[in-house]
Amino acid sequence: MPLPKFKYLAPKTWEEACAMLAQYKGKVRVMAGGTDLLIKMSLGAAAPEYVIGLKNIPGLDYIKYDQTKGLTLGPLALLADVADHPMIKEKYDAVAHAASVTATVQVRNMGTVAGNICNAAPSADNIPALMALDAEVTLARLGGKRTVKLDDFFQGPGKTVMEPEELLEKITVPAPLPGSGTAYLKISPRSKVDIAAVGVGAHLVMAGDVCQMARIVLGAVAPVPMRARKAESLLTGQQLTTDLINQTAAQAADEARPITDVRTTAEYRKTMVYVLTRRAINACAQKALPPCAK
Amino acid sequence: MSKYSIIGTNTPRVDSPAKATGRALYADDIKLPGMLHGQILRSPLAHARILNIDISKAAALPGVKAVITGEDTPKVKFGNWRLFPDTQDEYPLAVDKVRFIGDEVAAVVAIDNDLACEALDLIKVEYEELPANFSVDESMAPGAPVIHDYRPDNISLNRKIEYGDLVKGFAEADFIAENTFEVHAVSHAYMEPCACVAQSDDDGRVTLWTSTQVPYIVQCLLASTLGLRENDVRVIKPVVGGGFGGKMELRAWEFCAAFLARRTGKPVKFRLSRTDELAYGRRRHGMKLYSKVGFKKDGTITAKDFRADLDGGAYNSMGPTATFLCGNFGAMLYRYPNYRYNGYHIYTNKPPAGAMRGFGAPQALFASETQMNMAAEALGLDPIEIRIKNAMVPGDQIPDVATVSSCGFIECLQEVAKMSGWKAKRAACAESRDGKGMGVGCYSFISGGVFNWLYTQYTFSAAEIRAFEDGTVHLLTPATDIGQGSDTTLKQILAEELGLRMEDIRLTVADTSVTPQSDLGTWGSRVTLMGGNAVRDAAAKIKKALAGVVSLKFDLNVIHDIGFKDGKIFPVTRPDRCLTFGQAVHMHQKFKRGEPLVARGYYVPRGKGLVTPAFSFGAQVAEVQVDRETGIVKVEKMYTAHDCGTVINPMSVDGQLEGSIEMGLGYALCERFVMDKGRTLNTTFLDYKVPTALDMPPGESVCIETFESEGPFGAKEAGEGLVSPTAPAIAEAISQATGYRFKDLPITPEKVLEGIGGLRKV
Repeated sequence: MPLPKFKYLAPKTWEEACAMLAQYKGKVRVMAGGTDLLIKMSLGAAAPEYVIGLKNIPGLDYIKYDQTKGLTLGPLALLADVADHPMIKEKYDAVAHAASVTATVQVRNMGTVAGNICNAAPSADNIPALMALDAEVTLARLGGKRTVKLDDFFQGPGKTVMEPEELLEKITVPAPLPGSGTAYLKISPRSKVDIAAVGVGAHLVMAGDVCQMARIVLGAVAPVPMRARKAESLLTGQQLTTDLINQTAAQAADEARPITDVRTTAEYRKTMVYVLTRRAINACAQKALPPCAK
Repeated sequence: MSKYSIIGTNTPRVDSPAKATGRALYADDIKLPGMLHGQILRSPLAHARILNIDISKAAALPGVKAVITGEDTPKVKFGNWRLFPDTQDEYPLAVDKVRFIGDEVAAVVAIDNDLACEALDLIKVEYEELPANFSVDESMAPGAPVIHDYRPDNISLNRKIEYGDLVKGFAEADFIAENTFEVHAVSHAYMEPCACVAQSDDDGRVTLWTSTQVPYIVQCLLASTLGLRENDVRVIKPVVGGGFGGKMELRAWEFCAAFLARRTGKPVKFRLSRTDELAYGRRRHGMKLYSKVGFKKDGTITAKDFRADLDGGAYNSMGPTATFLCGNFGAMLYRYPNYRYNGYHIYTNKPPAGAMRGFGAPQALFASETQMNMAAEALGLDPIEIRIKNAMVPGDQIPDVATVSSCGFIECLQEVAKMSGWKAKRAACAESRDGKGMGVGCYSFISGGVFNWLYTQYTFSAAEIRAFEDGTVHLLTPATDIGQGSDTTLKQILAEELGLRMEDIRLTVADTSVTPQSDLGTWGSRVTLMGGNAVRDAAAKIKKALAGVVSLKFDLNVIHDIGFKDGKIFPVTRPDRCLTFGQAVHMHQKFKRGEPLVARGYYVPRGKGLVTPAFSFGAQVAEVQVDRETGIVKVEKMYTAHDCGTVINPMSVDGQLEGSIEMGLGYALCERFVMDKGRTLNTTFLDYKVPTALDMPPGESVCIETFESEGPFGAKEAGEGLVSPTAPAIAEAISQATGYRFKDLPITPEKVLEGIGGLRKV
């Protein structure tokens, strides 16, 4: 199908973008790289009268790191730049890896991490990694802003808590704690250039072989990227043993609520939650940053 | 040193610069003044009677120039060529009934594509939905809904091959393998979705630029479907971005473009989207294969009883040929002294299956190669040794069907065993429990088909050469390069024959009103052999004329051989007495009082049986690593030894091999249509999983060069057959790695885990 007709708005400042959003509320969609929105529009799944493109606003593609505040990604930070960023690779390995395995080179050069979050696909690669790291997003509107944890951001496939007049202003990830290790693992039929049939993000904080904190996030196995909270609680405060890891992975598989669809079966997804959770926990433990004292 | 100048040398494709720089013009790049844009309305139902079509609102939309339905057309059926009129079952636009989701119902042309799309929504079709069949088993069940009235049992046709004595053969067997295999439909996934532009001239004659593999067949079928004479239809092939069998018929949009160009007096373009191609396009036949093979203790085959039920979809398309060829390939590779094949082509309410790379071979050979592996296992024999024991050799026959001439199959098996380190590595895989496996698969394929063009007055291929006194020639060939490289190959053949350089040859191809009649097009790996032979035939006539000039000029004894090399023509024993090619042409024209030097060549295979003039052979070994937890198979390496006769362009053969492995990989592991009641659910490349370059395993290959006496310079098929051995080789390797035997494709991670009991319950 041809792309339906729409009016393209190209604000030059953030304030102008917020004002346009308020003005055309309900009839407008916001576009960063456009790698999801334009395809949805040409498939007839979205038909906004207006599209606001953010790319003419300078300076929104920043990637900043501060030892106390952690990592901040601007709304136009490109997947390709996040994937290649030396500091992110060092301190937030899972975030860089998730960006690096998102879609194709071409999509990564156009698409943004913020766009991947706002698109809110259950299979989005970047969300499990960021959620595992307890990331939050700042939502801005004309004359106000609020902060929402990713944990509380998603409501269903393509649905989030964002109000029609809100823009995602930035993504913030807390500074990594000593002993922290992260991982994102995905399964897809092709080895590369593919959408996740299942994805698991994990974040462990280790003190020696004791897990002080664990977050496990499952992608593509529920209507929203979901935390496997019972599985996390099995790990917290415990010595990591093979048995415990297996038990935790089994618990995560129990918590997953997958469906059978065009990509794979519910049974396979559950099985992969088990396998990937186990592998992700092991990877976190191995990759943990220099430990804090026992 | 090679006796040839160009044959056998790495020769870059003549079309590469244009393609790499974007200058190449495909059908969709063609824009003509006043051109209209067409769209096709397709059936949303799998099986329904058309009660009424109301086009009034669509026709009234400003900018819409015409709307047509089946009722406006001459209602002439087309389909699997005219040789078998009883198999022609498809109207260009549906008449009375629709039979699959996507069946073409109406067509619109408008001043732009957006308007044409808008008009589609304004056409109101009233349907009476009918019960439908979505599988071969449903269609064959007693009392199943009838899809075509002329075939109340839904079996569109039955093709048979039978020879020897099956009862005796099975009585002699010590071990009988009897299995059912199931293989699935896959997409050609060519890079260029179909597109065409039609123009009508003042006399009502039609010119059609179309993305096709078969310009002459489109010309023939379009003429009859429009009610025109063949010479009133001109089909021109622009640059084509792949076909793999998916562009070898007349299609509805080609008819609609021509019909509407005549009706409106304006050029008309139709183009398909990728989603159109995946949702409604032709595909490789899914099949259920029942195969029973008898073996003696030492591995000698005694008999084979083989049946294929082809899921044909709603129309025959190229299915009749696939049905026959499946039985032919079921009898190839090994000596089956007693053999019976029954192929049933069965209608279902799904998008029609058609020709696709391998044309019945990938399916038949998945079954026969897997059974060879199973027999080897059961009899305690090495899979390669049991193959060598039964392998075809030159002179072998499928009685009344085919004769094998050149054949290096045993050498291929020996070579692939050697290069892959088969014995030691395979044994090591058997010992290890870490998911490593190694498997072998083989193939044989045709170098062009003889069937289908029998009983026609047409030649199989043709060529015209015009020679010029500036030392250049113009080759006009109906051969159809769709990306496989035949323009380059044919130029190489001509350059070698005439002793010219590639750049001395001007090329005009595949224009039915300009290039000589005729040619069946590109399919069945026919162009190098058949087109090449036609070029050689024409070249021989040019050479005879120019050799005469040189003889006369130097007063040579008639016993001298005349050589053509480096732009010069000379007696082989006295190369100093030479004329340049241009000088010789000059003198010939003068002698002929101005008559241009032109020669035509033709090729018709004679005395080669029904199937093909020449068979290729090959063997392939796959090494895999299976992750037993995820079921994911990583193909680590492919080894190939293949006999394609004389290699004309090594880099082109390598490219064919790599493309075949990529396609075989997808067939084996990840490509499939996800269907729900006749609807294709995965209609983009996001969810139709074609392997990418990043999935390609490293490979090693060796060409076993035989000399095929029927082929140009000894060449034969080199690209299509190779798509077949990959899936059985990978399947065998996975079976070794997991201990579970896979008898259906694709072998997805889900199936691997199911096979080894590794799936969790929901």
